[in-house]
Amino acid sequence: METSDKLTSVVSAILKYAIILSIACIVIGTGLMFINGNANGIPISQLANYENPKSPSYNSSSFSPVLIPQSIAHFDALGFISLGLWVLIFTPVTVLFSSLVDYMYTRNRLYTILTFIVLFNLFAAIVIVPHFVSN
Amino acid sequence: MIDYSALTEFLLILAGGVIAGIIGSLTGLGGGSVLVPLLTLFYGVPIEYATGASLISTIATSAGSASTYTKKGIANIKIGVGLEVATTLGAIIGALTFEIVVTHNLQYILYLLFGVVILTSILPTVKRGKYEYPEEKPLDFTSRVFQLSGKYYDEKSKKEVRYTGVRWWLGEIIMFFAGLLSGLLGIGSGALKVLGMDWAMNLPMKVTTTTSNFMIGITAATGSSIYWYAGYIQFFLASATAIGVLVGSRIGSAVLLKISNKEIRWIFFTVLSFLGVDMIFKGITLSKIYNIPPIDGFGISVTFSIILVILLFIKLSIAEGKYGNLR
Repeated sequence: METSDKLTSVVSAILKYAIILSIACIVIGTGLMFINGNANGIPISQLANYENPKSPSYNSSSFSPVLIPQSIAHFDALGFISLGLWVLIFTPVTVLFSSLVDYMYTRNRLYTILTFIVLFNLFAAIVIVPHFVSN
Repeated sequence: MIDYSALTEFLLILAGGVIAGIIGSLTGLGGGSVLVPLLTLFYGVPIEYATGASLISTIATSAGSASTYTKKGIANIKIGVGLEVATTLGAIIGALTFEIVVTHNLQYILYLLFGVVILTSILPTVKRGKYEYPEEKPLDFTSRVFQLSGKYYDEKSKKEVRYTGVRWWLGEIIMFFAGLLSGLLGIGSGALKVLGMDWAMNLPMKVTTTTSNFMIGITAATGSSIYWYAGYIQFFLASATAIGVLVGSRIGSAVLLKISNKEIRWIFFTVLSFLGVDMIFKGITLSKIYNIPPIDGFGISVTFSIILVILLFIKLSIAEGKYGNLR
């Protein structure tokens, strides 16, 4: 049993459009950051200060993905940049979902289970494991 | 009013990302393996943020190139997804280990490990591409149970290539360590993934490299989300490097197709080995085992990397002369 042509073209399309969407969001966010001189109220000079990893205000730990829609509604740079980065992180999830549907449809039980395990690992990394991470 | 100082800084990081993408693509090791040393050694970026930015850039480059390879039907999605069972698990453990290492201020371990990984990746990466199809091996029970067969159209030889992999279990074991290194060092671990599919599973080189490319994105995404919540994604850096490395890897791929003299790649392998040796020196200095002044470390790294690459070049040239029919 070989990979179906339909799955191949769906996965290829997801990867292609996800990368376009993601880079577009990051470019818009970066443009806004320089035009407005700040992102989420933080001055750009401080955003560009990456020398101290212990500073919580300027890295991802202080900006929950839940804030993205609200931030984008306010046309804030951080919302767009974060959306771009999360699109990248979620691209493999979408690819795996497509694979899962294809394997279920073709009744390939073994690969349905294997894909499910990989999706579970990704789900654990996105939702469960972060609760055990300090910061 | 645009802050030109910040803009200059952004453009400099973006340029670094482009360079990392080009070298990563030309050597076949991936942008992350160049980006982390570049950011830590030359931009003064803490390894925590450099690794986070690298993971994000790795997903971007993987998605960009995997889109083409999957469309052409060369990358085997099924084999890739099956192997991701071990890789994603490894990436989770790697990212959690990274968090422990950083919170205990043991960053020197990351520098040392990174240097060793780069240097040990050079030889298998150089050898990659010297042959296209593996020698036939007797199939085992995993070949049938895990459906390791596939086919693709080879444009070079203008024929359809059919293949069947073996030793799925061994591939999984190697993939676990590939995932572990990815989560720990923020790289795609392409060299180890290729080793798992080429040496362990006996798959054709084209299938191996393209499937590895497809897998790298899934592995890096697993580590990235943990890095996000731990606070190791710095927005300013990550946005500049994601764009830079993606652009650089595209330029690198285009250049690689056009250069007729492939020996030019050795220059980039020298750069890569320099970065590997310098990372080890930085790790030694940070560990306080021995203090190597930066200028001395630079000089020794340059000398050592040139000697290392010349020796490798001679060794491989002799081997190729002796076994020329393998090319």
